[in-house]
Amino acid sequence: MRPGRRPLLVLKGQSIVEGRCVAEALVSSMPLSFLGGVDPRTGIVVEKGHDLEGLSISGRVLCFPHGKGSTVGSYVLLALKRHGLAPAGIVNELADPIVVVGAVIANIPMVAGVDIGELKTGDLVELDGGAGVVKVLKRGAEG
Amino acid sequence: MYLTKDEERILEGDLGPGAQLAMRVLVKLGDIFGAERLIPVASAHVSGVSYKTAGDAAIEFLKELEEMGARTSVLATTNPCGFDERLRTILELPEEVVEAQEELLSLYEAIGLKRTLTCVPYYELRPESASHLAWAESSAVIYANSVIGARTNREGAPSALAAAIIGKTPDYGLHRPENRTPGLKIKVDFRPGDELELWALGFLAGELSKGAIPLLEGLGELSDWELKGLGAAMASGGMTAMFYTSASYRKARPESRKEGLELVEIGRADLNDVIERLSSPEEPDLIFVGCPHCSEEELRLLASLLRGRRARPDRLFLICTSRYLRDANPSLISAIEASGALVVVDTCMVVSWVERLRIDVVATNSPKAAYYLPGLSGVEVRLANLRECVELACS
Repeated sequence: MRPGRRPLLVLKGQSIVEGRCVAEALVSSMPLSFLGGVDPRTGIVVEKGHDLEGLSISGRVLCFPHGKGSTVGSYVLLALKRHGLAPAGIVNELADPIVVVGAVIANIPMVAGVDIGELKTGDLVELDGGAGVVKVLKRGAEG
Repeated sequence: MYLTKDEERILEGDLGPGAQLAMRVLVKLGDIFGAERLIPVASAHVSGVSYKTAGDAAIEFLKELEEMGARTSVLATTNPCGFDERLRTILELPEEVVEAQEELLSLYEAIGLKRTLTCVPYYELRPESASHLAWAESSAVIYANSVIGARTNREGAPSALAAAIIGKTPDYGLHRPENRTPGLKIKVDFRPGDELELWALGFLAGELSKGAIPLLEGLGELSDWELKGLGAAMASGGMTAMFYTSASYRKARPESRKEGLELVEIGRADLNDVIERLSSPEEPDLIFVGCPHCSEEELRLLASLLRGRRARPDRLFLICTSRYLRDANPSLISAIEASGALVVVDTCMVVSWVERLRIDVVATNSPKAAYYLPGLSGVEVRLANLRECVELACS
């Protein structure tokens, strides 16, 4: 982020995992299961009928309501991190143990308790996991 | 969350980076779910043991934890893995899969977990009523809370492991008596005709309850086997981690009771809908019983149903239980295997590589297996009660 640049929108949520990142948002309105839902070798969402199906979560600020499905999903987040395919950050409306623990062990900055309806795919966002803050720096062309 | 001096020191890394990471996971969960403190657990039960579902990520994570010196500090048991000697041969598993599974198991052992490899650890190491646990494996969680009266949240694979290392868990959710109150009453106006109807009712109750604890009325006395399957189905139909029957509710602590519950009535037709939704009418290539793993009661039922019968040579009949229960019941196992049925331990069809058998349809009496098998192994499932499973398996 360039110094002095003013964010277009500041969303305050709950701090989950410390760390900062600036990246493009990838926003879903559907809960996501990492086990079976995301391919750990490609970072691409493979769940049939998911609104992110076919898209890569790698390097994005991944925004979705909350996790679902098997608790082994935490390990998938870790695998993504190991393969350099993890999201740069995670924003959830509701913190659930699967995603939280996955983000903790994989060290992915994460904020919860944010209305992700305010965010659009393609927005350039800054996530501060320690402060629990998500800032929209620039609105994207997509979405 | 309040931490004692010792807990603070672990969080700062005094006991090494492994314990520090485990403590970080627990403190994070405690903060998020509003726990005020950590409480000691009597045991932890860890999922993520089958290489098929946990994969290389679990191996890498455990390897790191092991190298960081993390070791369990309480009794810690493990869920089923991907195969036993017998299933490994039947599935003709490639060497690299076998090695990866064995590496995963050695890592769990090196960290200090017991090689129980079962989803019913409570038959071997029964927790005490009112004890606090940190268990993953949804069917074991719901059994522990509802049948044993122990207290555990529905832990994830890594959080149960973290609790095994620290020996504690954050005090929230079902650890607190005030959260063990029912949220709705589910009433049936008929007696389920067999275990399959009962378990289909469980699956539906899980869907209807969302996160709440259901109180089931009108079921009469249920055996341990029936309760085990009822809970397993409920936990796979929804996020349910505990249920009451009229009988267990009468014994519940006063602070866990509640008046004026929302009432949902379920008729027999609703159950048929569930069974139809999960079931295919096709002829099965394989018959599988033991999700969750067969108890002694279930092995006894099977032995008596199979007396004088012969399994069809063109269909595999696999019965899954724990190594402990198999070894503790040699005469039941020989009676079952005299029919040609195969008893398999340490694993089950849900977490193994069924697709390698190139089969299309699996028959089982477990709605939980029926829910997971199509997604995990691409097979269709035919639901049938235990008696019908035996008929399908035998000529």
